Amino acid sequence: MTGTAGAPLTPPPVREPRTEQRRGVPWFAYVALVPLLVVLVLFQYYPAVSGIARSFWDWNPGQVSTFVGLDNYATMLDDAIWWRSFRNLGYIFVFGVVAWVIPLVAAELLITLRGEREQFVFRTLLIVPMAFPGVVTALVWSFMYHPNNGVINRALSAVGLGGWAQNWVGDPSFALWSLLFVGFPFIAGLPFLIFYSTLRNVPREIFEAAALDGVGRIRRFWAVDLPLMARQVRLLFFLAVIGTLQYGFMAYIVTAGGPDDATMVPVLRMINVAFQGQDWGYAATLSTTLFLVTLLLSAVVMFARRSEPSTNVKGL
Amino acid sequence: MSTVVETRAETVTAPPPARRRRRRGRQWGIKATLSVLVAVSLFPYLFMLSTSLKDNLQFADSYWAPVLPLHWENYATAWRQIQPYMVASIVVAAVSIVAIVLLSLLAGFVLARYRFPGRGFFFTAIAVLMMVPSISSLIPLFVMMRDFDLLNTYPVLIIPHVAGGVVLGTILMKTFIEGIPQELFDAARVDGAGAPRLFLSIALPLSMPVIGTVGLITINGVWNDFFWPLLTITENELRTVSVGLLFFQGQAGTDYGPMFAGYLLASLPLLLLFTFLSKYFLAGVQGGLPGSH
Repeated sequence: MTGTAGAPLTPPPVREPRTEQRRGVPWFAYVALVPLLVVLVLFQYYPAVSGIARSFWDWNPGQVSTFVGLDNYATMLDDAIWWRSFRNLGYIFVFGVVAWVIPLVAAELLITLRGEREQFVFRTLLIVPMAFPGVVTALVWSFMYHPNNGVINRALSAVGLGGWAQNWVGDPSFALWSLLFVGFPFIAGLPFLIFYSTLRNVPREIFEAAALDGVGRIRRFWAVDLPLMARQVRLLFFLAVIGTLQYGFMAYIVTAGGPDDATMVPVLRMINVAFQGQDWGYAATLSTTLFLVTLLLSAVVMFARRSEPSTNVKGL
Repeated sequence: MSTVVETRAETVTAPPPARRRRRRGRQWGIKATLSVLVAVSLFPYLFMLSTSLKDNLQFADSYWAPVLPLHWENYATAWRQIQPYMVASIVVAAVSIVAIVLLSLLAGFVLARYRFPGRGFFFTAIAVLMMVPSISSLIPLFVMMRDFDLLNTYPVLIIPHVAGGVVLGTILMKTFIEGIPQELFDAARVDGAGAPRLFLSIALPLSMPVIGTVGLITINGVWNDFFWPLLTITENELRTVSVGLLFFQGQAGTDYGPMFAGYLLASLPLLLLFTFLSKYFLAGVQGGLPGSH
């Protein structure tokens, strides 16, 4: 699968525009970059830095702010809701990763189809939900969970299991589960696209050789498919970590973090502290913590990604 | 690979006839399973479609099945309420795309085609922002916008999309322009073209595919952005689709037909892009990831 090592393949040389160098420094290059840099410094670097700086202050925007050192961080360590929100995030992450089984099975089934046309039709239908705005998906699923008119409770009554009907998002023992099942069966998404395009790019001969050797479906999956996908799975894993840290709007729309903080997530906690509690310094602390965790994990992703140039959804 | 080779010795004796037969079959089992998965995936959306054409009486009488007559007026009702949100979203997306393309194409061109002191530094300063999640600058950016007195204006909606979009935009544009053969630029230069001419007559027209990708990523971003417009906008006319729908849902109450019609109308732009520009759409989904370049 790796390129055959023959003559050392040098990448096509990026030619230096020698003429420019002879003419001296192209001053217009700087002029062209100035607008971009102004935007980035003003709206990316400055907010990021000021957020970190303000996390050490009792920040009252527009009024007097006092430097409080690490007080906000001490508050964070004692903030039960904040840690609970991370625990919920842990559940969301683990569930999300386990749920990859379904897109994986779907991708395996899909590549087994012999007709190119049929593959295309099923592939397209399976990813249609990706084309809906996230908010619409969230709102439709809130309706599914609606206690009186929701699809789930109606379906339960229709098959004579009305007793099982619940206030799915209003009951603390079901709320997190309800949130986790939004988007079931979880096929329309990046994991499916990556599984499918990776499996599709596997040379047919390998599968044929395996079939000739009498390697069964399950055996082939463990011995051939999974090793071939190992890098992509690792990449998806890191992306899922980072994606989960940003998780927020689904919880806001479906459960609003409730009931009783049962579905609180860090992003919602941060927003509540800032906009309901008006405690901007503490919100900046939470934001900085979230930022540092994400940055750390993004750096890991960058390295994981660099060693794997072949992940390519465009090949679909 | 080695595992496959090992297994050959043990199993070469008896090719299982059952599998042979299934391979020659029509794969009904696989198709059935995939169809079930498709049905489950699409069910909420199909239910939304069928309910969007019912009035409340029909909804009460026939919860599951679509019924005649179809109440298309639900869409008119919904459109009257959704329309300002759609307009706001389209304005935000259009202005953001123009700004992002202008800034990042220029920067990408310069970074790809010229050598000058500080080039590497500039590029790193841009690329490193790929790792900064937008949610983490939400609080400080909000305070900054409030200090500038920009809440409830178009700029407050547009600025974060531009500031976020130029990062990926510049990287995509630079990579793309590096792929244009140098001979084209050399030939133009021999003919006496200066840098502005090289940009306008070669880099810009040839970069249309990547401009399209950036445009799709931006539209997708505007349609999915939620917390920022929720927190910075309180005037109804300025609400973008994502936040507007939430308020629309509150107003629609138990009028499920118009409510679902509104959701579908709000989804329509992305659905159209998905249908007609599927390849770019999927590239956009992937392009928005950290570390993908």
